[in-house]
Amino acid sequence: MSETTTSINQTTKAAGSLVRKLIASTGPLLVLLVLAGILWVLSPPFRTPTSMLLIGLEAAAIGVVAAGQTFVILTSGIDLSVEAMVSFSGVLAAVLIAGTNVAGGQIAFGIAAWQAILIALTAGALIGMLQGLLITQFQMNPFIVTLGFRGMLWGTALVWTRGAGINIHKDAFLSFLTGYINAGNLKIPMPLILALVIYAIVWFVLNHTKLGRYTYAIGGNETAAKLSGINVNGVKVIIYGISGLLAAISGILVMGRLQSGAYQNGTDMTLISVAAVVIGGTALSGGTGGIWGTLIGVFIIRVVQAGLVYLSAPSNAKDIVIGFIIVLAVALDVARRGEIPWLQRRVRKPKV
Amino acid sequence: MRGITKQFPGVLALSKVNFEVRKGEVHALVGENGAGKSTLMKIIAGVYERDEGEMFFKGQPAHFANPHQAQAAGIATIYQELNQVPYLSVTENLFLGSEITRGMRLDWTAMHRKARELLAKLHLDVDPRIQLSKLGVGQQQMVEVAKALHQNAELIIMDEPTSSLSIREINDLFAIVRELKEQGVSIIYISHHLEETFELSDRITVLRDGRLITTRPVAGLDLNGLVRLMVGRDLSEKFAKEKATQGEEMLRVEGLNQGTRLQDISFSAYAGEVLGIAGLVGAGRTELVRAVFGADPIDSGKIFVMGKEVQIRSPQDAIRNGIGLLTEDRKQQGLFLKMNVRNNITMAVLNRLTSGLGTNRRKEIALAQSFIESMAIKASSQDQLAMNLSGGTQQKVVLSKWMATEPRVLIFDEPTRGIDVGAKVEIYRMINDLARQGVAIIMISSELLEILGMSDRILVMRGGRIRGVLTHEEASEENIMEYATGVEKESIDLFKHTKAE
Repeated sequence: MSETTTSINQTTKAAGSLVRKLIASTGPLLVLLVLAGILWVLSPPFRTPTSMLLIGLEAAAIGVVAAGQTFVILTSGIDLSVEAMVSFSGVLAAVLIAGTNVAGGQIAFGIAAWQAILIALTAGALIGMLQGLLITQFQMNPFIVTLGFRGMLWGTALVWTRGAGINIHKDAFLSFLTGYINAGNLKIPMPLILALVIYAIVWFVLNHTKLGRYTYAIGGNETAAKLSGINVNGVKVIIYGISGLLAAISGILVMGRLQSGAYQNGTDMTLISVAAVVIGGTALSGGTGGIWGTLIGVFIIRVVQAGLVYLSAPSNAKDIVIGFIIVLAVALDVARRGEIPWLQRRVRKPKV
Repeated sequence: MRGITKQFPGVLALSKVNFEVRKGEVHALVGENGAGKSTLMKIIAGVYERDEGEMFFKGQPAHFANPHQAQAAGIATIYQELNQVPYLSVTENLFLGSEITRGMRLDWTAMHRKARELLAKLHLDVDPRIQLSKLGVGQQQMVEVAKALHQNAELIIMDEPTSSLSIREINDLFAIVRELKEQGVSIIYISHHLEETFELSDRITVLRDGRLITTRPVAGLDLNGLVRLMVGRDLSEKFAKEKATQGEEMLRVEGLNQGTRLQDISFSAYAGEVLGIAGLVGAGRTELVRAVFGADPIDSGKIFVMGKEVQIRSPQDAIRNGIGLLTEDRKQQGLFLKMNVRNNITMAVLNRLTSGLGTNRRKEIALAQSFIESMAIKASSQDQLAMNLSGGTQQKVVLSKWMATEPRVLIFDEPTRGIDVGAKVEIYRMINDLARQGVAIIMISSELLEILGMSDRILVMRGGRIRGVLTHEEASEENIMEYATGVEKESIDLFKHTKAE
């Protein structure tokens, strides 16, 4: 019975799935090009290489966060703690490197920047794995666990900074990581290069390693994954660890660029990272999508935000646009799966 | 009902079935799994629409487009799985969808009063204000009956109502059924427990393969005769069964227990043989193979693979020890629908295909290709998504996944469900091939012909226990059904006796 049903569904859905496939594969890139094209026409200052690189620089930090979010969403989970992790790791590193608290007071004795960074990144990975452990071992909902950690991490950053920020001493290594590289007369931002390297690594992991395959398998069918002998819990712990680690890296990039570890460093990054992943074609229910789409998704959001600036939209209005993009992204996700009842044509009962 | 026909794509679920229930009658409906009982009931209850035939209710032509219309006409259905909201009160459940209101407000006083009346009619002494989940399963079932009464049902369909009840609760239910009957309510009673149907019903209708076999008064029937009516047919399908040479013992299970679901299970499976597991739905067959595979925890018991005791706490352990499981529901538990054929086939053996940092794509393609050829998998390419394959091809993909693990013991749970006849024969051939190569095969099936045709030995389960072990030569449809339903010679005689009184 089920066999015939599927084959009939296939033929009736064929046309719809082609459209969906186009939306899923080239859609986001097309949207990005159109948006960039519009901005190109309307705004002369946008047309300079410098402004392009600036968009790239701004995309780097959120992009790294979104790369981690991609892993999590592919397993049909979600990580709401990332924005707090960005702030937390920046503040942790800043405290370790030492400097001046804006709220008053000095942190006198510090350690080398590379050591501080290493500690912050380790903390990020471990906290991520801890969340993964809670989610898998106690059967807790990832939404709630990561929301709880968001509060804890943000609160810790607040307490350590006493509600302000820690301006760190200038450090050569950190400046190198978050500065520019001169290529001819172009200044290429280092964070952009780092982010692209991270994307290349994530692409490799997702497409050419066991971990990647298992990530898709768990999101696609967790029961089947378990019964195929995959250590589902172990993979999930690693994946939340990756998300934590990447958010912590992003935290260092932001902190280094601002020379300041502040609790606001990660503001908005959770929602934007989720939106970027979904706009990029990864299903919130997991199992399909990928890192390439997320990269496009990040740039779409950045171009829109840059557009608001170049077209002199009031800066207070940016939240409206971001909110709109997020709702649009989720609507896209549902539409892609063809699950909106009133958009579906009624399939007539097949006569055999 | 006259000449009811129902077709599902590819399957004729009901063929020209005539069925009639009189007022104030308890009418039992029996048949094997897949005989068409549920389909017939769902047509009556308005869940499905019939393709052909006429239906009359109280002498009037009736047509129910949805369950709501059937309910409004006075037909209530009590399903095997209860359709209730456990966290609402008894009253709220009783009046769900038909709340009594006064203006905008819910009239709780009136509803509780009415609820008490209904419950009293059923001799159910519970406060209607308590949460439904606080009641026992039997009482919850009674609440369902009360709901049917509240809807002034004149025909109540009960689908396996006793499957989760204790003996006391069953007696209570029977008393209620008899009372309802006195009041002129008609009851259609579906049950696998044949003794029950004898005790309770006036007439029995037997369905087999979607066809009406007979409708007879209970008085002229005995249990053995009924079993024969349910299963008796010729071996029309051919199985390429060759007598296997029983090789060495591959798997031995000793004293396996899991709550009340599995009790004191011991058996062995040998290289080269197909061990069939027969039994009715709920007998514990799937639970048993899941426990052996490490998918569910066990309370006690030992598992030996090739004579050595092994600890199996997870599917990983099972696979490491050479055990594979093709689950009953391949879409929900076996396949990765959004993944392509290649990734599905290699999923359980990626360890072997990883060299250095990443997976070895060339090896992966070669492995998948070898299975696509040897299993004759009909896919446009290795990159075709599993969701776009037919049921039979999907099953071959899942089978390839397990064959890639080079198993010593391969367990099939309903391997041919939802697969067309051509593909079935192919799957049978592959199972036989595997057995010949020295794999111990364990196969669960609800299709008696399949079990009889394929198995060298057959375990019959009922109520979480193994009730009988039959060899290929000993087994017949009748003796399998006897073990599976618990109808044995003595009890039949005893029953005849009481009936005569």
